[in-house]
Amino acid sequence: MEKSIESIWKDGFLKREALVAPKVNDLYNRKSVHIIDKFARLFRVNLWAIITASVVLLGASYFAGALIAGSIMFITLMYIAYTAKFEMDALNKVDKGQSSYNYLKSFQNWLNRSIERYGKLYRIVYPTLILSFYFGLWFSDIFAGVRQKVAESTDDLFFGMHSYSSIVVIIGALIMGFFAKAIHRQDVKFVYGGILKKLDNALNEMEELRDPD
Amino acid sequence: MSSDFYTLSILPHAGIIIKICRAYTDNEADFDDYYQEVCLQIWRSKDNFKAESKWSTWIYRLTLNVCLTLLKKTKKKKHFFSAEHQIVDVPEESHTDFSDEALAQLYIAIRQLSEIDRAVILLYLEEKSYKEISEIIGTSANNIGVRINRIKERLKKLLDGKVN
Repeated sequence: MEKSIESIWKDGFLKREALVAPKVNDLYNRKSVHIIDKFARLFRVNLWAIITASVVLLGASYFAGALIAGSIMFITLMYIAYTAKFEMDALNKVDKGQSSYNYLKSFQNWLNRSIERYGKLYRIVYPTLILSFYFGLWFSDIFAGVRQKVAESTDDLFFGMHSYSSIVVIIGALIMGFFAKAIHRQDVKFVYGGILKKLDNALNEMEELRDPD
Repeated sequence: MSSDFYTLSILPHAGIIIKICRAYTDNEADFDDYYQEVCLQIWRSKDNFKAESKWSTWIYRLTLNVCLTLLKKTKKKKHFFSAEHQIVDVPEESHTDFSDEALAQLYIAIRQLSEIDRAVILLYLEEKSYKEISEIIGTSANNIGVRINRIKERLKKLLDGKVN
């Protein structure tokens, strides 16, 4: 006689092996690897974006007649890219063989060290980029007309540049340099915010798991 | 997850979690992922459990919701992959890791049902009342009986097709 689906179900699950539960230990391992992989991918994209931007800037500065400023910006950005490559290598060296918790903790430590290092670097990088851009633009061929008009309309000139606007830009660059760490921290939050939130959540959960009381 | 919580609160219901996860996955790796994700979600959401329903009913509901969410994600990934690589959609071979051939065939047939029909028939086979099924699924109890009969008819046809 043909069995009903109800009896196929009941009889089938009488055998114990049909209900063997898989081990619940691998999920966090995979999740932690996933979080770090995602971060590394985004980090690599940023690295290439910096390299591309520096090359584009150098090309643009050549055509705008501001090659010296363009070269300074190019070297500065390439130095950032070199540092990023150095950081990337350090990230790749994080031992994947350790427990998920330690792995994520190592990643968090790497991230904090990296933010700290970049923060210091940007103290110089932000003012350098802003001032190179400003002076480069001011003395570029494409700005010749504006330079002429400013020279005709005011006596407040300093080496041919408009004094007040130059002071504002210099002060702005110095402020950017002074707050470089905080600005960089916000920048990281903006770009990697989603991943960092996942990292915090995963670590909080794991800490709770390690100490359920 | 503390082993006490897993042993005392999840393991007694592992059977139903396994049965549901098997109905929404067609390979062993996905099954392991679904099972682990369900366990993790139970642990994460345990504080949201209110004594309005039974712990087992809450687990049914949570397992179904997690499976349906994961199924959508898996489908999206497969769709993205096939669009990227221009691969023709070939149905994956179903995992038949049951020593009982009839049960294996029944699972293959169940996996061909719609997502909600799968949930309904699993709960029916677990001898849940129409009222409980409607509470878990979140539909009206009136049509559950008719729907179950239709699903059973479809399953019979699918199984006959396999046998023939």
